[in-house]
Amino acid sequence: MPVRPLNVGVIVKLEPDFSEGNVSYNPDGTLNRAETKNILGPHSAAATLAAFYCKVKYDAKVAIGTMGPPIANQALRQAQLISNADELHLYSDRIFAGADTLATAEVLRLGVSRMNKGLGADIVISGHRASDGETGQTGPQTAWKLSYPFIGNVIDFHIDQEGRSIYAKRFISLYGFYDVIEEIQAPLPVFISADPSYKPSFNTISERLSVARNLNEARNKADNFEKYLQVYNSEGLGADPRYVGLPGSPTIVYKVEKIPKAKAKRRVEFVDGNDTVQLDMVAKKLLQLMTEAPIK
Amino acid sequence: MERYDVAIVGGGTSGLTALRQLANLGKQAVLLEAGNTAGTKNISGGILYSKKPKNGRVYNIEDVFGREFIDDAPYERPITRYILHATSKDKLYSIDLTPVHEYQINYAYSVLLSKLIPWLAKEASDMSEKMGGGIISGVHMRSVRWEQGSSDIVIDTDELEPFRVKAVIAADGVNSELAEVTKARNKFSSEQLYQGVKVVIKLPETILEERFNVTSEEGAAHLFAGDVTMNHIGGGFLYTNRDTISLGAVYHMDSLMDNPVEPSRLMDTLIRNKLVAEFVKDRVPAKKSSQALISKDEEIRQHFMAVKLLKTWNNLRSEYYSRDGIKRLIESGKYGTKDEIGSRIAFLENELVEKYNYEFGDNYVELEYSTKLIPDGKRCRMKAPYYKNILFVGDAAGRGVFVGPRIEGLNVGIDDAVRAANAVARSLDRNNFDEQYLGNFYTKSVEESPYTRDMKEIDKDYLKIFLDCSKNIPKDIVGSRYGMIFKLMSSGTLRGIAVGFANMLGFDRLLPLVESVDTYVNVPVELADRLGKTIDSNYVPSTPSLQERIAKLDYNDDTFPHIQVTKPRSEFMQKMVSLCPTRCYSCENGDVILQHEGCIECGTCAYETLWRHPRGTKGVSYKYG
Repeated sequence: MPVRPLNVGVIVKLEPDFSEGNVSYNPDGTLNRAETKNILGPHSAAATLAAFYCKVKYDAKVAIGTMGPPIANQALRQAQLISNADELHLYSDRIFAGADTLATAEVLRLGVSRMNKGLGADIVISGHRASDGETGQTGPQTAWKLSYPFIGNVIDFHIDQEGRSIYAKRFISLYGFYDVIEEIQAPLPVFISADPSYKPSFNTISERLSVARNLNEARNKADNFEKYLQVYNSEGLGADPRYVGLPGSPTIVYKVEKIPKAKAKRRVEFVDGNDTVQLDMVAKKLLQLMTEAPIK
Repeated sequence: MERYDVAIVGGGTSGLTALRQLANLGKQAVLLEAGNTAGTKNISGGILYSKKPKNGRVYNIEDVFGREFIDDAPYERPITRYILHATSKDKLYSIDLTPVHEYQINYAYSVLLSKLIPWLAKEASDMSEKMGGGIISGVHMRSVRWEQGSSDIVIDTDELEPFRVKAVIAADGVNSELAEVTKARNKFSSEQLYQGVKVVIKLPETILEERFNVTSEEGAAHLFAGDVTMNHIGGGFLYTNRDTISLGAVYHMDSLMDNPVEPSRLMDTLIRNKLVAEFVKDRVPAKKSSQALISKDEEIRQHFMAVKLLKTWNNLRSEYYSRDGIKRLIESGKYGTKDEIGSRIAFLENELVEKYNYEFGDNYVELEYSTKLIPDGKRCRMKAPYYKNILFVGDAAGRGVFVGPRIEGLNVGIDDAVRAANAVARSLDRNNFDEQYLGNFYTKSVEESPYTRDMKEIDKDYLKIFLDCSKNIPKDIVGSRYGMIFKLMSSGTLRGIAVGFANMLGFDRLLPLVESVDTYVNVPVELADRLGKTIDSNYVPSTPSLQERIAKLDYNDDTFPHIQVTKPRSEFMQKMVSLCPTRCYSCENGDVILQHEGCIECGTCAYETLWRHPRGTKGVSYKYG
């Protein structure tokens, strides 16, 4: 019996580019969103890489979706460049504006069901969180709305296509204690979020050749990414206006406070690099610190 | 275990040629390249020849990559002038060797491998993908083995699962690890090698063309012999690229071992030669030391502003002095006329001088420092360049033609690669990978190559052209040393006999006579002293320190050293303290120790160390090559 092809869905977000030199702030210290360049968020990129892994390893069909303004298609283009995606979905409508994570999850749930020519997805992948807001719950909420099992912080996974299940490793940091890697088996369809450290590995010649072929294809596709782009508005998704946008958002932002700056614990001392006496002191200090340091 | 037909180790010009040729013949092959991408680990002096010998045939790059190579490949310039300079201090005697250079060529292009190889890689892999093969970069071959009862080769790498192939083409360069792990040949010794050192220097396109008196479809090569080599057997070269210059020198390793001088210092000596200095000179901004008292914040602010202006000035000036740059700038709508761009540049300069304490003066801009070992084909070519079903090509097989001013390596490797690919394809057709059928066939094919003939004997037609070019040299200068030879060579009939006699003696016995300090240093110095014209120039270039040169290179450091010192007290290793081009060795209490972070993987120290290439993607990456 031929194995049924694997359908993958990825949800991504267009985020401000927080890398050096690209961020612009308003005089009051808030982010100047108009001036700051937007890119595919780094966590979304990790999720996209996981989709690329499925593409190379299982020859999967990949669809990428995002909710956002029309300019968010740039994130889709970048994601296609990484993953050689077959479909790009943009969920864009004025009434989606002001959505909190729950209302966003509703749109994404409807979006996922439209993916891969309406077949949906066997695996939905999201990033760990967004870098411009503490919104790590969008993924799990979407999973909940889809009624898929959710596996977070995935650092490695493989799929048993015949057995219709996923074997995933998830990284759990128990702050102050040992880190833990959990191995989990779950039935498909499943929702996973890629750990920020996720990096696929391709260890055979055939996989490497497939990587090269896919990246080549991806470059060609991304040059005409509009051809792969489908834009859905609220009606196209069949959304219930009560559950999306502002009306669907139970979150109330009561007050935003600036986080007070922590007092620096480090102390800076300037030393003249040409003064041997001062340098000698530095060397002595280093030696002292090293001898006193506990050996772990 | 996965199976493929052929593996090629090394993605340089030879390896990529082999890949493309196999694809042309409909064969599947995978190419392993240790660098991050193909073209990041390759260095060449810089001329790629296409040749048409009178006897026999050679395979040129366009025979494999097609006419597209000539139309589209990013080579630099056709080299149309070839001049040898004998130097002594500020005096210079020049001989035009263009007829020698043009001997039996279709063309000669100056090339920068970091630009050329990605093009070749794309062409080769596109074709190879159709056959189920391709290029796999970032993978370092660790070892090969043969399983009992099978001729298939199992390849182990540092990065991937082992895989099986029917034959291997070793294109892994002068420090071939396939040769090392199979013991197919000995490591090259110092009498078989040259050490090449090179810097790439920036010079705007039209300034370069004016200075070397060439059009956009022409280029010049200048060779240097005499005191520039600091009494070593060897010589300097300068090739014009599109908007850069490749300046370098090649020294006999033996002669460096006798008198060890740091490669970076040798380079400085060459650059400070009056003519070279005049060739590379450009208008360069420099910060004046300032006494003004300004706050740290202000200093940082000024620095950032100045850097911004310098960047704009630099880009604008490169465009202004490039063939299409002015057109590009005007079409972009930013500027109306050429004069407008010129005055903008002048404004920026003025701004830098007035506000930011810069001054503009004569200096030169060095972009990249590199070194490479070059196997002397006359002395070290593998007589049977194979081991079982592994075929060695190019530098890996120790093949290159270096006879007097004739310097050819890339084209020899390309010719080998085609012959190896053809031999492997023939074996695939018959599924016969016996030594008799594959190795011997390839050896025979390589022996038939005109290049091999040039590594074995003197070509008297070439010699005649060379002598004709140098006929103005007074007989008494050379007479005292080579009087007999000259007399024999001066008439047609006697020349035939002399060359015949010389070839009977063989290159082995003849070379120590010809390749001597006399030929490479004393005669040129005497020539320049007596007949040379004095170069009138006050400009002394300020050369960067080795640290500055290393700082410009890109490294992906490996915590795992790829070299192990095994004989810390040997005479050879003691010399490496001076001869390592990036000063990786130091001597402590008589023991030579290694600090490998700045290593540029040239292999100068390979002879007496355990030397491997770094793991995949690790080590140095060149931007020009």
